[in-house]
Amino acid sequence: MDSPEDGVKPMPLEAAEKLILRWDSTASEDAREKMIFDSDRGEIDRYLLAVDEIRRSMSRASLSDDDPRASSTIQIAMARLEDEFRNILITHTNPLEEGSLSESTHSHSESTHHSSESTHSQAESTSAAARTSSSDLDLYGGDDDLGREEAESSARRSCSGGSISYRSTSSIREIDLVPPEAISDLRSVADRMISSGYMRECVQVYGSVRKSAVDANFRRLGVEKLSIGDVQRLEWDALEAKIRRWIRAARVCIRVLFASERRLCEQIFSGMGTATEDACFMETIKGPAIQLFNFAEAISISRRSPEKLFKILDLHDALMDLMPDIDSVFQMKTAESIRVQAAEILSRLGEAARGILSEFENAVLREPSRVPVPGGTIHPLTRYVMNYISLISDYKQTMNDLIVSKPSAGSRYSGDPSIPDMEFTEFEGKTPLELHLIWIIVILQFNLDGKSKHYRDTSLAHLFMMNNVHYIVQKVKGSPELREMIGDDYLKKLTGKFRQAATSYQRATWVRVLYCLRDEGLHVSGGFSSGVSKNALRERFKAFNAMFEEVHRTQATWLIPDNQLREELRISISEKLIPAYRSFLGRFRSHIESGKHPENYIKYTVEDLETAVLDFFEGYPVSPHLRRRSQ
Amino acid sequence: MPATEYQGSFLGRISIRRNQVVSMDGNHEQELEDLEIFQKNISDRFSDLLSDDSSSSSSSSEPFLSIAWVRKLLDVYLCCEAEFKAVLIMGRDPSLISKPPLDRVLPELLDRSVKALDICNAVMHGVDSVRQCQKLAEIAVAALEQRPLGEGQARRAKKALAGLMTALGIDDKDSGSHKSTERAWSFGRRGGCGGGSAAKDRGLGQFRAPSWGVPKNWSAAKQIQSMSSNLVAPRGADSTGLAMPVYIMSIVTVFVMWALMAAIPCQERSGLASHFQVPRQLGWAQAMMSLHEKIGEEWKKKEKKGSGSFVGLLEEMQRMEKVGHSLMDFADGFQYPGEAERLEEAAAQAAELAETCRRMEEGLVPLQQQIREVFHRIVRSRTEVLDVLDQAGKPSAPSV
Repeated sequence: MDSPEDGVKPMPLEAAEKLILRWDSTASEDAREKMIFDSDRGEIDRYLLAVDEIRRSMSRASLSDDDPRASSTIQIAMARLEDEFRNILITHTNPLEEGSLSESTHSHSESTHHSSESTHSQAESTSAAARTSSSDLDLYGGDDDLGREEAESSARRSCSGGSISYRSTSSIREIDLVPPEAISDLRSVADRMISSGYMRECVQVYGSVRKSAVDANFRRLGVEKLSIGDVQRLEWDALEAKIRRWIRAARVCIRVLFASERRLCEQIFSGMGTATEDACFMETIKGPAIQLFNFAEAISISRRSPEKLFKILDLHDALMDLMPDIDSVFQMKTAESIRVQAAEILSRLGEAARGILSEFENAVLREPSRVPVPGGTIHPLTRYVMNYISLISDYKQTMNDLIVSKPSAGSRYSGDPSIPDMEFTEFEGKTPLELHLIWIIVILQFNLDGKSKHYRDTSLAHLFMMNNVHYIVQKVKGSPELREMIGDDYLKKLTGKFRQAATSYQRATWVRVLYCLRDEGLHVSGGFSSGVSKNALRERFKAFNAMFEEVHRTQATWLIPDNQLREELRISISEKLIPAYRSFLGRFRSHIESGKHPENYIKYTVEDLETAVLDFFEGYPVSPHLRRRSQ
Repeated sequence: MPATEYQGSFLGRISIRRNQVVSMDGNHEQELEDLEIFQKNISDRFSDLLSDDSSSSSSSSEPFLSIAWVRKLLDVYLCCEAEFKAVLIMGRDPSLISKPPLDRVLPELLDRSVKALDICNAVMHGVDSVRQCQKLAEIAVAALEQRPLGEGQARRAKKALAGLMTALGIDDKDSGSHKSTERAWSFGRRGGCGGGSAAKDRGLGQFRAPSWGVPKNWSAAKQIQSMSSNLVAPRGADSTGLAMPVYIMSIVTVFVMWALMAAIPCQERSGLASHFQVPRQLGWAQAMMSLHEKIGEEWKKKEKKGSGSFVGLLEEMQRMEKVGHSLMDFADGFQYPGEAERLEEAAAQAAELAETCRRMEEGLVPLQQQIREVFHRIVRSRTEVLDVLDQAGKPSAPSV
């Protein structure tokens, strides 16, 4: 600032008084219409000098003969300066540039940081991509998540320049809200007001102007005023969009807007006592800060339900990242309540995440649908749950911090038939979160076991379990994060379980069929060379044909969606069926062919059966005429 | 906090019961007894709030509707709330809670909780606007305390007081004379008599409390109305069951929120007094009813004067308004050196204003902390009730 002492001569007291009275806005039209700080520099300096002169004269005067005239003059000067202060502030209150309010300019500086880390781990970037899609992700979606994730992550990259995760590391970016020349004018006014005992007025004026500036920027950022009631009433979809917007807005608010306001206070008031500085800052941002946090608070206390988890975690992560910046921007004692509120919201969001996880477990355990899925294929619940927990694994870092106690399962409830048992001692070294994921798979299977009982055909029940557990295994294997968390031991168990289901299926269906091809009961006792009962043999062939046709007809409509699993099971069926049939045919064909109408009994060649097996588990009905198809 | 001293005995007893295996029948008797104690405690506590007033003219430490009194009111609320939760939840089988009529009245209670939370936020903001008044009054006090008092300081005081009157929501039509002087002493171009610039209103506007925190269409009066509209006393067999404490607690909540909004500035409160009635002929509610009547009368008086829509009934605000008015007149007509008698009177009033500011300085921060505590408590209870409802739950599936 230009010191008035430089180049301007000291002023006699009388001239000083005259100057101040000349600028008394209550006295003349001219003084009302013009602003000193809009005039030339010389006039500004003269006025400030005059104020200093009056103040000097007042401090010279002894207490006894305090001059009421000087006190009156200084009051006129202070009213004037207050007005000037306001005017300078208003003149330089411009809305922030678009760039300052968006995060994109922000991520320019960040992008180098990001790309250096992008090689870090492939898994991380995939998980980050998945998490951005969490809200849009159809949890019942199929198996080709990977393709979609790629598409989304590239779309995301192109639109937001690389800042993907809500756990970003960027921090405060202060900008100049008021140009430096104006700052020095503001300082010269503030200094005089404060040292003349007009600090409160100064704070009032400052706060009123800056608060409306912050208010305007808030509107441009789209920070809404929503009551808690409003938030409870809104659909979750709508809230998700608002949460996304809030996260962006909050980052800009804390790191740019509030941080810059804080700096402006420092720029103008530094050296005049931190009390003024803090008071001005709080006047300006207390209301806006509370308004900002109210939304996050309303979300943190909204009713818990599973679909909310991931956006709650996004919000949690975003706020957690902001915490150091919040602590630094609001470090003064008077802003303690703001810091405390932010911390409370953070912990409440964590609590909400915990609550939702247990709610989710509860829901998985009790999901009540009883109608069997046709064809024994993968149940929507299985897809939902597995997609859900693989999303949880994307949030592993946060969730590991939040989930600190084991699932309330196993031994505590043992004896209760409505809850499965789980022995946690098997899983030593697992984190509580990992145990929860395993537990979720356990209760999912438990529920599915219950559902499988609703199939009339036990073969189909086994096939259903095989399909679903196989799906679980595939999902776990498909996500490196999830695989690591579930662990190979448990994965092995799961693999064993669907294999067992496959075996049970084969037993349930094929033991009966293959029983027709046994030797016992065909030989007539007493005979030597040709002691085979033709009738019995004919009945056997007829029974086999009927049974096989029936199985073929039904099981072609059953479905194994996984190609490889379907293939394997068919091979396994063929491996038992074909040799048995071939050898049966080899031993007894001549007995039938020597009789009448052999085609009535030997309807199928070995090749016919081999082809017929290929119809199994495709999920649609086949022509009942096996033979014709094979020709 | 005195909250704890009330709780001790009662909660202790409840927690003993928790460890007992209680049959349905044995339980009921216990329940009736709990209910009786619950009601008696409420009755006692509200009587206490009432008697504070009768013993006080203005010298008591807790005058009616003062900051200290409001804090005591919140203490009472916290105690009632703690006991309510003990009666409702502690040691109870969740399945009981999911049965009628609780399955109906509990969701209604939760709905009321959410509304109470919004009221807490609105009142938090209201306290901030009280603090704005305090700051303006402090300027006036600082100016008037100068010895000897010069015309300059008198003008300074007047400007601050004019701002204070605006902040207190004194209508222009009430104080026409002030308006004209206000103009004369507005400074620069913004006074309104000059060039008529667009920035005209800023001088006054700065003292208006902004409506942060709640949406523009949010109305304190409507909030209270919707909280109380479905409040019906349980009848028949329900009147001795758990629906009764839920009902009682709802009345307590609505009353406390209503009183808070009457005391502290809040957005849109017209007709507040008539939007909620404490039900008559309930023994435990007698004291509360008397309080309700007293506050209601005060409110109507204010509303008739046309100033009720902004300023709260908070005793300190009332005092500030009264003394502020008088000091405004003094400053308006002040000419150096002033009459000794008039100066003395003004000094006494300035001291009163200073004392009021001091009370605000001491009381407002703890008051806000306490409102926040009420907020937390309501959130916690709501979560707990939701948890119990979920445990007892109808199986809630991930919408398959």
